[in-house]
Amino acid sequence: MMLQKSETLRAYSLLSPTLIIMAIGILVPFGILIVMSFWTQVGFGFDMTPTVANYEMATERPIYGALLKRSLWMSGMATVTTVLLCYPMAYFVAFHVHRNKMLWIVLMTLPFWTSYLLRVFAWKVVLGYDGVINSALMNIGLIEKPLEFLLYSQAAVIITLAHAWAAFAILPMYVSLEKIDRSLLEAATDLGDGPVMRFLRITLPLSLPGVMSATLLIFIPTTGDYITPALLGGPDGVMIGNLIQKQFGAVNNWPMGATLAIILMLSIAMITLVFLFATNFVRKRIS
Amino acid sequence: MDVIDQLGELGEGKLSRRKFTKSLMAAGIGIATTPLASSLAQAAADDQGTFFTWGGYDIPELFGAYKEKHGELPSFATFGGSEEALTKMRGGYVVDVSHPCNAGIPRWIASGLFQPIDTSRLSNWSDVIPELYNLQGNFVDGKPYLAPFDWGQTSITYRTDLFELEGEESWDMLWDERYKGRLGSLASGGDAWWCGAIKAGVAMSDIDTPEAFEKIAAAMRAQRPLIRVYTDDTTTLEQALASGEMVAAMTWNSSASLLKADGVPVRFATPKEGALTWVCGLMIHKDAPNLDSAYDIIDSLLSVESGKYMINDYGYGHANSKAFDAFDEETLVGLGLSKTPTDILAAGHFQIPQSQEWETKMNALFEEIKAGF
Amino acid sequence: MKSGTYIKQVNRPLQFYAVLFLIVLYVPVLFLPLFSFNDSIYVKFPLKGFTFQWYIELLDREPVWAALMNSIKVGVTTSVIATGFGVFAAKAITRYSLPGRGPVVGFIMLPLVVPGIIFGVALLVLLSQLGIRLSLYTVTAGHIIVCLPFAIATMIPRFEGFDKSVEEASADLGENAWWTFWRITFPMVFPGILASLLLTFTVSFDEFIMAFFLSGSDATLPMYIWGQLRFPQAFPSILAMASIILAISFILVFLGQWINRDAHSNTFESK
Repeated sequence: MMLQKSETLRAYSLLSPTLIIMAIGILVPFGILIVMSFWTQVGFGFDMTPTVANYEMATERPIYGALLKRSLWMSGMATVTTVLLCYPMAYFVAFHVHRNKMLWIVLMTLPFWTSYLLRVFAWKVVLGYDGVINSALMNIGLIEKPLEFLLYSQAAVIITLAHAWAAFAILPMYVSLEKIDRSLLEAATDLGDGPVMRFLRITLPLSLPGVMSATLLIFIPTTGDYITPALLGGPDGVMIGNLIQKQFGAVNNWPMGATLAIILMLSIAMITLVFLFATNFVRKRIS
Repeated sequence: MDVIDQLGELGEGKLSRRKFTKSLMAAGIGIATTPLASSLAQAAADDQGTFFTWGGYDIPELFGAYKEKHGELPSFATFGGSEEALTKMRGGYVVDVSHPCNAGIPRWIASGLFQPIDTSRLSNWSDVIPELYNLQGNFVDGKPYLAPFDWGQTSITYRTDLFELEGEESWDMLWDERYKGRLGSLASGGDAWWCGAIKAGVAMSDIDTPEAFEKIAAAMRAQRPLIRVYTDDTTTLEQALASGEMVAAMTWNSSASLLKADGVPVRFATPKEGALTWVCGLMIHKDAPNLDSAYDIIDSLLSVESGKYMINDYGYGHANSKAFDAFDEETLVGLGLSKTPTDILAAGHFQIPQSQEWETKMNALFEEIKAGF
Repeated sequence: MKSGTYIKQVNRPLQFYAVLFLIVLYVPVLFLPLFSFNDSIYVKFPLKGFTFQWYIELLDREPVWAALMNSIKVGVTTSVIATGFGVFAAKAITRYSLPGRGPVVGFIMLPLVVPGIIFGVALLVLLSQLGIRLSLYTVTAGHIIVCLPFAIATMIPRFEGFDKSVEEASADLGENAWWTFWRITFPMVFPGILASLLLTFTVSFDEFIMAFFLSGSDATLPMYIWGQLRFPQAFPSILAMASIILAISFILVFLGQWINRDAHSNTFESK
């Protein structure tokens, strides 16, 4: 008992620098953000009398709800695309690569670590009016005029997000696929399951935790993205993140920006909870 | 990366662990003291003033005189729009010199973040065209806050080979249904909203009335489906015009000049309703850490050499009247400039300073319109 | 590894897909270096000619060097602090019975998932209310928060990968905790530390959103690039700079991941 107590104490004393930094860096700013969302911008300063006017405005004016919905839809699409495209990749490395597994993992995650800004920028070069895809298609003679919908569209944003977050999808799915006990698969084979049945009955259900974490790891951060839509989205690809950033810049209404940030966070939290409950429910039903 | 070499040696057993730990600690101390050392080093470099400006003004060509005196260029910080810059400085961001435009002068002064300019410390001040500093709200207690530097127009740059002009050049060009999806616009309300006012026939002096808001908003909403992209980044507009992705776009003088220099057939329109004209200049922060350098930055920007570069390469007007002497009248007219800037400024629509509340309201509304609401 | 016979079978379509996947993953990024050698200020096909001009021009631009130095300063400070704290946190998480471990780990990993813009504006609001001037220090603070989860996540497998009993043996032999840490733990987890330093440096070096909201008059390299995107004359040298940054990032991350590779395989296999 004594030993355990001192162990806990030591563990927390080791953790304390990190926890203190995180508290200062996360809890305090969030607290102030919440407080500020009840203020009003007056010229260059703030009126600190608490009011819910910002929240009222956010629910009354259609733009905020519509942009929030659009952001959730776009990052939802990006998440589904990424997970679907990356699952075979994770499966391949987990089951069909026997030597240099690590090399494959490193190769697949390498681009993720490089500058996000530059990757978005690179997609602009690829999707542009006389960018790589258009000039290639025109050279082959498939099209006569450049395809304009490639750039400045929601599709452009979704493609770029899917590319940027591939590593976040592959890693968790790979880990859960790699953990699957190979003898289960052999047992299924012995029982006469073909490859498809084997996959559906064993591999897929057992890798679901990885798929879930991949989904959340991509969906949550991408809903708040503002750089990709700013550079590639065009007028129809604007997301809620762009609006938040504008409140702290040209529009100069910080309390409104704080309100929108909090609404975004609450929406994400709610969706995450629903998602977790739903997947838990399904998993229980399966087992 | 000698740490990695050491790691190799450690693995091969060449390096004793104690020696290794020691060198690692030395490295740790070295790194821990780096910020300190570098802040000292920075104090030395900090004798250079900081110029907070749009990207593109941070080039050696404009700071010949400064470099001669200080041996190196000033430090630069860049912003996307001057409103963004003011917001940032209000947030506690301190620079020596910043770069607002005429419409912002009273609000910038009212923010209390700037100090009046002692014109006796500027050797080029006597050559500055007086109309450019006698701007609304610029003088408080007989002292100017803004030293004018560049002036020009916000108008339409269009492809002469791709845009089929019907009649005179006009703001209608950016509302032309024929070119739906092939028109571009600057994203900042400071340009676009005012151009919208000209198109909607709202007088600059009435821009703060509720009717004006409605009229301009209606014009902007009508234009929005035609616009391929709103951007603050002139490169995007210029590249789009060069490739034919766009046939016309709202730009400043420099876009047309740069495209012409590159052999792209474009014209910087003189719309019949008049272009939007503006004067931008330099203000000194009240807590400018390097006041002497601040004056050197301004003086260098006001010099004839900088002026020649501004006129020739960017197609902007300059504040120094002598800078125009190097050009003949024909060249200047071709650039949409003149030795008597008052002609140009009077021919166009000059922005009238507005309150901070107006700016916030206008920007919020314009953001909604751009997003399609 | 227990592997059934069928697993050894080669799956051609899947192999083809894997190769295609890697191509799509890398090709967009590799267009930046391609155009950085192109002799035209506009980024479009066909390529005009080969030139080093943009790289040479880059050397003459002093703001580029200043921004590079700023990024390095911020990156080094961030990686050292984040890794330093990360070592202790990873040890605490893996070595001790930790009541409330789940929530604590979840809390620390929060910056990995919360949208960057929310962190950025929250910190900006805090700093402005405290009246703290924006500077490279505020950027560094933001980066430390972003990088800590990466540092901890990199080192946890390292701690899990070696036997706790070695440390216990040292403690039993009467070594004090500090000495045990230096003599036993530190060398064992050293590859993890190195990997963490390299990875967090890269994350900080490339980070844009925090820098966007928190930087003062000294721009980091990504901020400088953002400011330069507006001017076409600068564009090709931006491509050149982007290519250099990409190359550096690739090398650092590859090294980091490679040094730490056995930690990963440990965890993967032990589970």
